Amino acid sequence: MTERRPVAEFVAEATEIVEGLSRELLGLDERRGEEPDPERLNAIFRAAHSLKGLASLFGHDRIARLAHVLEDALDALRLGKVAADDALIDAFIDGVDVLSGLLAMASRGETDGPAAERALALAQHIETLVAPAPEKPPALHELGVDKAVLNVLTEYEEHRLRENVKKGVALYMVRAVFSLEDFDQKLTALNAALKPLAEVVSTLPSAQASDEARIAFDLLVACRQPAADLEAVIRPFGATHALLSASVAPRPSAPVPVPVTAGPTAEVSLKSLSQTVRVDIARLDRLMAAVGDLLLTRTNIKRFAEGARAAGGGLHPMWAQELSREARALERKLDDLQKGILEVRMVPLGQVFDRLARLVRRLLRESGKEIDFEISGGDVELDKLIVEELSDPLMHLLRNAIDHGIEAPDKRASKGKPRRGRIRLRAANSGNHVVIEVGDDGAGMDDDRIRDEAVSRGLLTTKKAADLQRTDLLNLVFLPGFSTRRQVSELSGRGVGLDVVKTNLGRLSGLIDIVSERGQGTTFVLTLPLTLAIIRALVVQSAGRTYAVPMSSVLEIVAVRPSELRTVEHRQMLSVRGQTVPFVRLSQLFKLPETPVDLHYVVLVGLAQHRLGIAVDHLLGQQDVVTKPLSARLRDVPGLAGATDLGDRRAVLVLDVPALVSEIVRPQASP
Amino acid sequence: MSTFEQLIDQFLYRPDEPGLPSLQWLADAPRPESTGVEAPQEFLAFSLTDETYAVPIATVREIVKVPVITEVPRAPKELLGVMNLRGEVLPVYDVRARLLLAGGVQPITGPGDVPAQARIVLVKSESGDAGIITDGVEGVVRLLPSLTEPPPPGGTEKPFLAGLSRRGERLYILLDVEKVLE
Ligand SMILES: Nc1ncnc2c1ncn2[C@@H]1O[C@H](COP(=O)(O)OP(=O)(O)OP(=O)(O)O)[C@@H](O)[C@H]1O
Ligand SMILES: [Mg+2]
Repeated sequence: MTERRPVAEFVAEATEIVEGLSRELLGLDERRGEEPDPERLNAIFRAAHSLKGLASLFGHDRIARLAHVLEDALDALRLGKVAADDALIDAFIDGVDVLSGLLAMASRGETDGPAAERALALAQHIETLVAPAPEKPPALHELGVDKAVLNVLTEYEEHRLRENVKKGVALYMVRAVFSLEDFDQKLTALNAALKPLAEVVSTLPSAQASDEARIAFDLLVACRQPAADLEAVIRPFGATHALLSASVAPRPSAPVPVPVTAGPTAEVSLKSLSQTVRVDIARLDRLMAAVGDLLLTRTNIKRFAEGARAAGGGLHPMWAQELSREARALERKLDDLQKGILEVRMVPLGQVFDRLARLVRRLLRESGKEIDFEISGGDVELDKLIVEELSDPLMHLLRNAIDHGIEAPDKRASKGKPRRGRIRLRAANSGNHVVIEVGDDGAGMDDDRIRDEAVSRGLLTTKKAADLQRTDLLNLVFLPGFSTRRQVSELSGRGVGLDVVKTNLGRLSGLIDIVSERGQGTTFVLTLPLTLAIIRALVVQSAGRTYAVPMSSVLEIVAVRPSELRTVEHRQMLSVRGQTVPFVRLSQLFKLPETPVDLHYVVLVGLAQHRLGIAVDHLLGQQDVVTKPLSARLRDVPGLAGATDLGDRRAVLVLDVPALVSEIVRPQASP
Repeated sequence: MSTFEQLIDQFLYRPDEPGLPSLQWLADAPRPESTGVEAPQEFLAFSLTDETYAVPIATVREIVKVPVITEVPRAPKELLGVMNLRGEVLPVYDVRARLLLAGGVQPITGPGDVPAQARIVLVKSESGDAGIITDGVEGVVRLLPSLTEPPPPGGTEKPFLAGLSRRGERLYILLDVEKVLE
């Protein structure tokens, strides 16, 4: 406890900082070549600075050292001592990568690893990049600014002042006097009001307060607009202004007095600026379980209230009515509570997208291919646990798109395609699901290569391979170890990528579809449930028993006559819009008494790339349920994810769709 | 009962409602005068078919009326199914077949399939708490370790037994909970 907690806390907090750093750096990266926005530079500088502080506080020297180098480099950048050139921005982006690596090491309690070596090399690299090129800046007082003012400015403020003077922006000293009670709000408001037309270079508390209950400020302002505009903005605040310097204006008649003693370090409140709390997801799980139990009580009370109204016997009708009303109120509040907790668990996909963007940039630099990388839908939200599980699969899909998808520029040109390839990572909401697509406009999946590979690996006979439907053929790429690359490189060749994609998506009850056209490109479409905590279930009946099927795995429901089934190699198959899908009766699979039926209700389910039709006798409806685990004693019983309560205090079994699909479909997919 | 009373009954029903033999007896039961000779150990006695079995009281978590039991497909036949006890899902076993008592495992899906005095003894266990269906709970007995003998040799049920113990006329078969639920 005493050992682990600080590490976890440090890693959580540091990760947050690094993520913020990464976001701002990507903004910088997108605007390469332009002069960097000072606000953005400051944000990056602050992030590096806080990280340095945090890391040294917790004794993570390596992280502190790298953060320190970054901080120095950023300081040089925002002071205009170095230019934001490509080399420097690349180095910063690498820096975020290395920092993430170091944090991962810290969280595992490791002290050595490749990230540590990279950290050292990178720190040296950055230091050489920002090594000072000495050049004496012109003295500011020569530019027409009063020396008294200059005395109290920090180096950064001086730099901003110089920049403004260089650009010929007029400088003013704005004097504002506020009551001690609310000066902080007023000052913030004044700053905000000035922002559209001016840059506040420095705020200096003035010794010249007229009385005890008031405080005066001198704001050194570089105003891009005519003085009249400035006047209009500051007048509501009771502030006055005086011109300090301007390329086209006379010098001020009376210099504004500036205190020499009080520096610009106004007292800072120790209150945290952040309005957020960090919560362990396990706590949310417990809350969610409690809500799940309350939902059941609600169902019972509701039924009781309805019954009481209908039956009447012995109970005053007023009571029954009251009870119904309270039951409805309870229901609404519980729905709010449930939604609230689900919302708290939701995080934007942008959290992983940012990390992926960094990775892709690095891979692109190394691959030598010309590729535009587009991201959209970073604001789409998903359960935190799902978002974390997605980062590896998406990384593998992007790597594949770069390595197997996009062709070399010359090859593309020879095929009449634009030299630059395009990779898209897109997310969008679709009802209760989120759909994420990773698409490339490259070569497409190579059917022949895949077929040859499968045959040469002994997965299929030549004859069987020739008969295979295209979807089934493409699905072979998900097999562990399957790769059309003969040579293992840093990017590909081990055949683990799509196996990871399939496994993680299965764990999340997600679906994978491949859309691939020779010469046109490949798109992987991932469909995911929004949350795993409370699931929507389809309640079905088979041989008189009730079961719940997670809706996240249900693709559609079709009614099929027994005569429409086909038998292929001793297996019943069903045809859904041209696709052949294995069919199984739940009663048969579960060895329950089977009775002949005129019509099967087939629940079409999917796991990753596989589809399966499960026939049941009746469909009873849909309900939100919380799945409780089955006892560890039942670990060996296949096909069940847990049990739930539909409101009648019975245990209703929840089917484990991934397990059922693997049980039925797998034996066929492997040799 | 009016429909309304039934509704209330159903609403208020708990598988563990009062009126059942309760572990509270322990506190109430008169303690034997400590003679300094030997401390008796406390067991919960229950009947299976026509024999009386006993398990150490420390292993018993709760005694509940037989609720609706959900059968678990493709589970070992000793498992009657799972029950929902205040939101917790617990397996329920019928150990009669293992103990070579009459007739093998009969499917039991709810209170309708068992006599009124049948109870589920919920035992604590390393590999997960579980219920054992019994034909009735007799109560807590204090048994002297010196009057406990090892189970008779031979017999396939032997591995599930911890011993035999006498108290006056009565013979109690001591059950090894972990083994019989394995
Ligand atoms: N975007 C794509 N375009 C074309 N073919 C692809 C694409 N993605 C995957 N493939 C095919 O699927 C195969 C399996 O991919 P997978 O990621 O599992 O293995 P790999 O990339 O070969 O090796 P690694 O495990 O090192 O990633 C690839 O060898 C390739 O033939
Ligand atoms: Mg790959």
